[in-house]
Amino acid sequence: MEFLSTQITGFMHAFVLLASDPVTYAYLIVSVFLGIVFGALPGLTATLAVTILTGFFGNKFPLEQSMIALIGAYVGAIYGGSYPSILLNIPGTAASAATAMDGYPLAKRGRGGEALGLTTTASFIGTLIGTAFLLAFVGLLLLVSKNIASPEKALLALFGVLLSGTLMSKDLPIKGWISGLIGLSMAMVGMDPILSEVRYTFDWSYLLSGFQVVPVLMGAFAIPQILEGMRSTLVAQKPPPVGRIVPRLGALFSRLGTIARSGVIGTGVGALPGVGEDVAGWVSYGVGKSVSKDGDQFGKGSINGLICAEAANNAAIGGALIPLLVLGIPGSPPAAALLGALKINNVIPGPTIDPSFVLHVVAILVLASFTMVLMGLFTARIFILVLQIPQTVFLPIVLILTTIGSFSVGGGINDLYLMLGVGLVVTAMNAMQYPVAPLVIGVILGGLFDETFRRSLFLSDGDFSIFISRPGAAVLLALNVLLVLSQLPATKLIFSRLRKR
Amino acid sequence: MQINRMKKALQLALFGATIVTGYSSGAAAQDYPFRDITTAVVWGAGGGTDSINRMIMSEMEKHLPVSINVINKTGGVAGSNGMVYVMNQPDDGYTLVGLSESNVTAAVQGGWDKKFSYWHPFIVGGSPDLISVPANSPYNTLEELVDAAKQAPGTIPAAASGSGSIHHLNLLAIEKGAETTFKFVPYKGSAPGQEAAIAGEVQLVVTSLAEQAPLIEGGLLKPLAMLTPDDVSFGGNNIPSAFGIYAGLDAYLPLKQAIGFAIHASASDDVKTALTAAFDKAMASSVVSDWATANYYDIGGQSGDEASALFSTLESTFAWTLNDLGVAKVDPMTLGIDKP
Repeated sequence: MEFLSTQITGFMHAFVLLASDPVTYAYLIVSVFLGIVFGALPGLTATLAVTILTGFFGNKFPLEQSMIALIGAYVGAIYGGSYPSILLNIPGTAASAATAMDGYPLAKRGRGGEALGLTTTASFIGTLIGTAFLLAFVGLLLLVSKNIASPEKALLALFGVLLSGTLMSKDLPIKGWISGLIGLSMAMVGMDPILSEVRYTFDWSYLLSGFQVVPVLMGAFAIPQILEGMRSTLVAQKPPPVGRIVPRLGALFSRLGTIARSGVIGTGVGALPGVGEDVAGWVSYGVGKSVSKDGDQFGKGSINGLICAEAANNAAIGGALIPLLVLGIPGSPPAAALLGALKINNVIPGPTIDPSFVLHVVAILVLASFTMVLMGLFTARIFILVLQIPQTVFLPIVLILTTIGSFSVGGGINDLYLMLGVGLVVTAMNAMQYPVAPLVIGVILGGLFDETFRRSLFLSDGDFSIFISRPGAAVLLALNVLLVLSQLPATKLIFSRLRKR
Repeated sequence: MQINRMKKALQLALFGATIVTGYSSGAAAQDYPFRDITTAVVWGAGGGTDSINRMIMSEMEKHLPVSINVINKTGGVAGSNGMVYVMNQPDDGYTLVGLSESNVTAAVQGGWDKKFSYWHPFIVGGSPDLISVPANSPYNTLEELVDAAKQAPGTIPAAASGSGSIHHLNLLAIEKGAETTFKFVPYKGSAPGQEAAIAGEVQLVVTSLAEQAPLIEGGLLKPLAMLTPDDVSFGGNNIPSAFGIYAGLDAYLPLKQAIGFAIHASASDDVKTALTAAFDKAMASSVVSDWATANYYDIGGQSGDEASALFSTLESTFAWTLNDLGVAKVDPMTLGIDKP
């Protein structure tokens, strides 16, 4: 209890500090607006918004300020995806795919404005719920994480990659694992972290420092999106007319329970390593369908269904930041881009992270969600207009931004070749339905996995029992093994037979 | 000769230009500084070098007619990005570089091809290194730890940030002075090394007092000995100096952090004089001494030849240790760095 009260006073302090600085608002308004636009334009994702801003702000602005821009864009983009979902039945981001299920039927019945207003407030409350959990849990988990040594870190990193591979893959989990392993092996390139030996560089000095994070992020998230968007040009549609957007308080109050439940689910799913807002939206939608009284109306234009998805995907933001700040393991793909930004600023998440930095992040999240709700309720019509911009106009602009972003962090032409190379490989992987998020999580966590795995063996003189002899490590190892076993066809068969009996 | 002639010609041209452009700007051009100064810190924001530079620059501003902006230019090898950046700026004293003792390894690690004498340094201070163990460690004194290590040489894991860091060199020195060996486990910086000690992954850690202070106060680390000649009183407890325990130590120690900033050694004497005056006044202020006490730093205050001599000793110690460890990419000999 005492801990919570110090966290809250600390947060109040950070909040006042942030809110009293006029520069904050300049960053917030621009970044949240940009985020919503990115989210609203089909083909541009939240991850892409955070990635591009990482390239731009990267190491050029003080980290405190660039965090405002990155988190603002993150919150805005997850919310912004609901516009085309509701109005056009095209999810703006994967995160709002579940929103379209009920949003579009509502819009067809002329209740688009009402749907938009409710998703806006649900997203707002969802973000705040995730943020509250972030505030409460990061401090506690940081205390626990003091006992986490190299073997546990290695197994956690592996778990993150495997879990992301399992859950992000559309058909076979093994495709996700393959993608994750490609990412892990990409992270091995360069100087090794323990003995500074050179690995897989083919005598090319550019590779000495390994694959740079930002060009890989850009290549993985931006290039395939742009190519895909150019291939299948969606004809910009004219959205149906919307009425009053600001929701009636009565309608809101009666649904606070649903919002709270969805927020908690969203935070939980977001906190799982490498699993993000899209899964959060679907899980919450699924739970809502079986729990709600009007469950049978889900998919036919249920306000409750709409709220389930939207509150959860925004709550996942706070959740995704928990493992990011505690362990340096991103809870979602956009959080992976955030970790990239922390890395190029030499901020190492973990037990020794500056507690005031965590409070600063929480304060940004709160301010960003207020900015988001005000923009959503009062300037929604601008975003509806944005929906009518044809892809052939905005995709080339995004390509230019991506290129500048990739180039500006390291300042070398090789970074651009890397971005294009990764982009082409990922495009091919997309065509074969391999998920890309595990690859990026693999690249990002690969360094941590490599270092901690090797260090564990270095400490034990090559004895693998170090991964079993520590209780924490043993539990994590079991989790990893169970995760893989649970997905094998043989185990699935056994389980389904057991169930039949 | 040719360069001198060119300089003369340039000065003449400048003189001509000032006459043409007028009286007032002519006078201003003579007095350094007349426009804002930028300090590029080669390490990340929030780190020791960064906070020291932000502190000293805001103090020096009070004694200069202009303001000083502090930026960070991180990356490269041992901070080489930032040093190359400042090197490429004119040596007019308007771009300073914020650096620390670790930067002396940039040349042997292949980050750039200059000796440290490229700079004219100013040393604000540094935090002394000490050897600590996890709070629940069975060892309560340095002797107990060293005796245990002598029983089983090379098995007790020790963290001391990366290979060739100041802390690693201090660990090597204590090994030589106490005639024992630990199992050195490298970490990417002091913070991960200290985390590892708290998690029980290593049994001792060598980093600076400033870096360990919050952890010792929080009861997570138990300090055993200072690697400097004097005892330190910390939070009411005395941390003994290792020098009193192992007599041979003074042959290898102390190796101390030196954090500060520098200008091009080729800068004019006017620039050096003006900066030194402001630096000396700033160092004498209570702001600096209060900051140092609160953050467990020792005040330096050296500049010019005195500071250059200190850095040159650090450079040769670092370079040759790295060379002996087999991790130097460039032979210190070819750079003209003498053996210590």
